Amino acid sequence: MKKIAFTWFLAVLLFCSLPLPTFAEQRVVGKVKGIRGLVSILRDGKTKPAFPNDRIYQSDTILTGSDGAIGILLEDNTLISMGPISRVSLEKYTFAPATNEYAMRLNMQHGTFVYQSGLLGKLAPHAVELDTPVGRISMLKEETSFKARFAE
Amino acid sequence: MENPMNWKSLIVLVAVIIIAGCGSKGNFIVLSPANDGSVGALKVGTDKGSEVLSEEGKAIYIGNRNTPPSAPAPISKEDTQLIFEDALAVQPLMPESFLLYFQFNSNELTDASKNLVGNIPASIKKRESRDISVIGHTDRTGSDEYNRKLSLERAQLVYDLLRAENVSTKDMTIIYHGEGNPLIPTADNIAEPRNRRVEVMVR
Repeated sequence: MKKIAFTWFLAVLLFCSLPLPTFAEQRVVGKVKGIRGLVSILRDGKTKPAFPNDRIYQSDTILTGSDGAIGILLEDNTLISMGPISRVSLEKYTFAPATNEYAMRLNMQHGTFVYQSGLLGKLAPHAVELDTPVGRISMLKEETSFKARFAE
Repeated sequence: MENPMNWKSLIVLVAVIIIAGCGSKGNFIVLSPANDGSVGALKVGTDKGSEVLSEEGKAIYIGNRNTPPSAPAPISKEDTQLIFEDALAVQPLMPESFLLYFQFNSNELTDASKNLVGNIPASIKKRESRDISVIGHTDRTGSDEYNRKLSLERAQLVYDLLRAENVSTKDMTIIYHGEGNPLIPTADNIAEPRNRRVEVMVR
């Protein structure tokens, strides 16, 4: 009897010492508002077509085909639109005014982009980092909006 | 008198003109003016230098990472509209926010705000919005607990008014902040009509 109890005790101890898997919180950072043609979302290594009202998560990569275009609304009301053969990664995004936490990093990998500033660009322009194939864009003034093209 | 322009210079000149005209290819960035015509400012940095863009109608061109960006150069509105035509065609509308005000210590709207409610469904339709936040607030007169309840009642009232206007309940979310998140910060127990509000955010 004692042997069984002791074995159980060891088993429980062992189980409790195993590292539990941590599930990275999939944070919604925005949604798809407008779509034309073929647009895909690459997430966790899988690609699927995008549809209006689809949620967008941190770390998503959005790709448009040769007839594709997409308009995205982020949680802070930043608007990002892309034309055909364009690709963007949402690498980092935090918008938490209640705790004063603001961060955004986008990687505009190629294509055409229309970027309209939301609250992030208004409250924390320094926290907006935009990577491109040719360099880094940083905001010097609040509410800066722009259009950009990066050809391959 | 000898003609200073020889064939070699002419060929170089033509080549320069052609290359300069090829600004239509490649990487560039241009500012978008706000509704009031103002523009912001940004900096473009490559591995070899950086440039500041703060004027409308000018673009910074970048060849590649290992060259400095160009100084801002003029770009026409027509070219800009054309190059970004497809992206602009699907650009979403900016979300719209409606502020509805309440009478003191009540969940009854002011007359002006009653009229404003009728404008909200059109905004929803324009945006095909499925994401409408109805956010209730109070000012700081009264206890925290009382105000939490009141802010919820206010949000509920506006929610019901919108439902009566055929806004789908699936698309609306009620949020209530009690006396928190004021528009106009005040000390405790100070009456402030501008905080007695429900904000309807249409996204």
